[in-house]
Amino acid sequence: MGDERISAGRTPDGDSAVTGSTDGISRRAALASAVGLTASTSGCVRQLRSIVNRDDIQQLSLTITTRSADGDRESIRLAREIAATLETVGIDVSIEMRSNEEFLRAVLINHDFDLYVGQHPGGIDPDFLYETLHSLYADESGWQNPFGFTNLLIDDRLEAQRVADGDERREAVVAMLEAIAIEQPFVPICTPTEYRLVRDDRYDGWSRGHLATRTGYLDLEPQTDNSADRLRVVHMDPRPSENLNPLNAEYREQGTFIDLLYDSLAVEVVAADGDHALEPWLAEGWEWTDESTLRLALRSDCAFHDGEPVTADDVAFTYRFLEDTVLGADAFPAPTPRYRGRVAAVDDIDVRDETTLEITVGTGQAVGEQALTVPILPEHRWSSRATAATVPGVRIAQGTTEAVVTDNIPPIGSGPFQYDSHSDRDYVLFERFDDHFTRRGSVDLPEPTVEELRIGIDPRSTSAIQLLEDDSADVTSSPLESYVIEDIEETDAVRPLESPSWTFYHLGFNARSAPFGNPRFRQVIAQLIDKAWLVDEVFHGHATPIATPVTDEWTPDDLAWDGADPKMPFLGSNGEVDVDTARTAFEEAGFRYDADGKLRVRQ
Amino acid sequence: MLSEVLTRVVIVVSILLPISLGLFVGRERLATTRTEWRSRIRLSGPAILVVSSVLLLNRTVRQDGPGIGVHMTEVIRKIEGEFVLIFQEVATPQLTAYFSFIYIYGYTFLLVFPVMAYFALSDTKMFRRLLTAYAFNYAIGLVLYALVIAYGPRNVLPELIASSGSGTSTMLYDHSPEFKYLTREVNRNVNVFPSLHTSLSATVGIFAYLTRSSYPKWLPVAIVLAVSVIISTMYLGLHWGIDVLAGLALASFCVALSCRIVGRWSLSGLYEQLTEFDRF
Repeated sequence: MGDERISAGRTPDGDSAVTGSTDGISRRAALASAVGLTASTSGCVRQLRSIVNRDDIQQLSLTITTRSADGDRESIRLAREIAATLETVGIDVSIEMRSNEEFLRAVLINHDFDLYVGQHPGGIDPDFLYETLHSLYADESGWQNPFGFTNLLIDDRLEAQRVADGDERREAVVAMLEAIAIEQPFVPICTPTEYRLVRDDRYDGWSRGHLATRTGYLDLEPQTDNSADRLRVVHMDPRPSENLNPLNAEYREQGTFIDLLYDSLAVEVVAADGDHALEPWLAEGWEWTDESTLRLALRSDCAFHDGEPVTADDVAFTYRFLEDTVLGADAFPAPTPRYRGRVAAVDDIDVRDETTLEITVGTGQAVGEQALTVPILPEHRWSSRATAATVPGVRIAQGTTEAVVTDNIPPIGSGPFQYDSHSDRDYVLFERFDDHFTRRGSVDLPEPTVEELRIGIDPRSTSAIQLLEDDSADVTSSPLESYVIEDIEETDAVRPLESPSWTFYHLGFNARSAPFGNPRFRQVIAQLIDKAWLVDEVFHGHATPIATPVTDEWTPDDLAWDGADPKMPFLGSNGEVDVDTARTAFEEAGFRYDADGKLRVRQ
Repeated sequence: MLSEVLTRVVIVVSILLPISLGLFVGRERLATTRTEWRSRIRLSGPAILVVSSVLLLNRTVRQDGPGIGVHMTEVIRKIEGEFVLIFQEVATPQLTAYFSFIYIYGYTFLLVFPVMAYFALSDTKMFRRLLTAYAFNYAIGLVLYALVIAYGPRNVLPELIASSGSGTSTMLYDHSPEFKYLTREVNRNVNVFPSLHTSLSATVGIFAYLTRSSYPKWLPVAIVLAVSVIISTMYLGLHWGIDVLAGLALASFCVALSCRIVGRWSLSGLYEQLTEFDRF
């Protein structure tokens, strides 16, 4: 009976035939009618299959991955505001919170996200966008293209600014930024203004170096008898006390303290007010022997913290190693998750003798010189780390070398400070490397003036401020969270120090999955974010809304913030989205709404 | 900073303890305890051993987490919404000071006092039950912490917890940042479900009820303290309502379990059986 009912339901004229057979019609007649029925329904079945086998388009449901308030108070707030906005335009949103390192692992290593909100370390030079967006890197792990963004036009523009120099490069950068502003591979939201607290009574010279860079902690002038003994730094992120690996993406933000431990050939010396210049550092100097060849001489008699000399071989090793942390021993290379774009600029390194080498770059000179800013690793420490990391009984992802996962404690670099001791989530203590070249009389570069530098971990702005007020600390190395800035009381000894930032908060899309790979979709989302309102609301005004993710110096007039986003103006006002306008925008981008006002998107 | 805070906790609790021992336990019981403490400790040996090993395990496991759990913050938030924010509506600086005090000092006292008070009873059954219940609370809480990864309200709604109508922050670590040193020593910020502050306070509350005939004056004090601790976890933005419910359920379960187990088997009896068995 069950079968009959189904066929009866499907074919209206089958009803009588099937029920008829139970009414004593002859077997032959029944058979004949059944054959006829099959013939007449075969067309229907095709149609039926066509109807039934179409996937229904569901409401767009997405997840925003971000950090908890302990990790980044601004990120979770931005994520919640954006989630609320997306909900009003008919998208189902949930928020996933992760700790600092889990967040970066999900986004940078495993690409396990739909959308994410976070802070990008950015760059003083706009070339950081090359590694951030070039399609060649869409499959790699690390800060190189976490979005999986692929666009041949953008690739062209990213490459064009890389090979150009001078005014030509300036124009190429403008062209690149404009193309990016249209594509919106990620939505740049704002650049925070960094506030730190410093104590003036023990040290002078805070405004010399930018405290997000190594030079902020060099050349300080001790003001009292015992202040040269120990510089007391408060850091709000516990990760430097847990891991000191310059190649690890999950434990590094800007890598300020890593830069105190490791030297690079050249250093971008950034003043507290943001002025910067690329200075020879471990290299005594360099000259361009032709368009693409740099000849460098290393400073003589430099040593790593374990006493081994720094040689041209270590430099050549570093660039080779960062390009492939398995050093060719595996079926495919395992490039570094940090410094990727800078290393890619180097085509070849020719070691001439112990201290001279020639570097051939495949880029223009400006970007080629940026390649000199990667940390120089001692070959004798790192060559053994070119092996796959192992955990007994667990299958490890290919390309996971010891080099990218080790905590690298104790770190052996050649930088102005060397590692002394640490305790997880508590502190890490550096001691001055007395043999550092900056301490030589003949060298006029920022030098370490304190004997010890203790980075105390204190997870909250409020307690960090208390430490400074109690004279238990000299400086907060992490920027203070924006909600406490208004409450800071300036005293004789303690004062806030404001400095520009090149980091930026952004909303990242995982372009590997629909509909985030669709630029029209991304454009509409970008227009649902009221950046100026968020700056007031979330950052208490201590940030600047941006339309393009580079520093002011490189921002073209077309993309400068002029009270509103010049390319992606907000569809609404005062943080409130105009739902009708937003719906029209989605519909014009080819998406549909159902009767309940839900955005239906094929995912 | 940590040692400063610790010292303060030790000082406050060691002022409160003798006063309350005198008040609730009485001189007589303390005097008998002085003569009988050896035999009581011998009797309670197993319970003491269990609770101290669980506490030791607790210290190592809670800080790092095994990394096998499921992220549940969003689920909790979708179920209960922004329920915890109702406490923000009644927030005043005085209440904040009160609940911060209760959360740290009150809680420590609430946990330590009954251990001493029940040790002072000549029948060690309650003492052993209490220790066993503590051990179960920690052990089960530990497993749940490993399985459920969730952030508390302060991590999800930082601005709503921090900016109450009175202008001062009710978030514990903004109001009293020094406490962060203390709690960081024992906890990760994703150890939210269930609220162990709730379950242990409720455990003490239930025991206070069970022992009301021995310590009638302790019962109201314990109830007030326990309820205050439980409210403080939500008021200070540390726990969700669901964590508190789970904590209450955990407390009832652990008390019931400890009453079942303690006194059923005795280890010394077991030992006698074994040695008897040996003789054959």
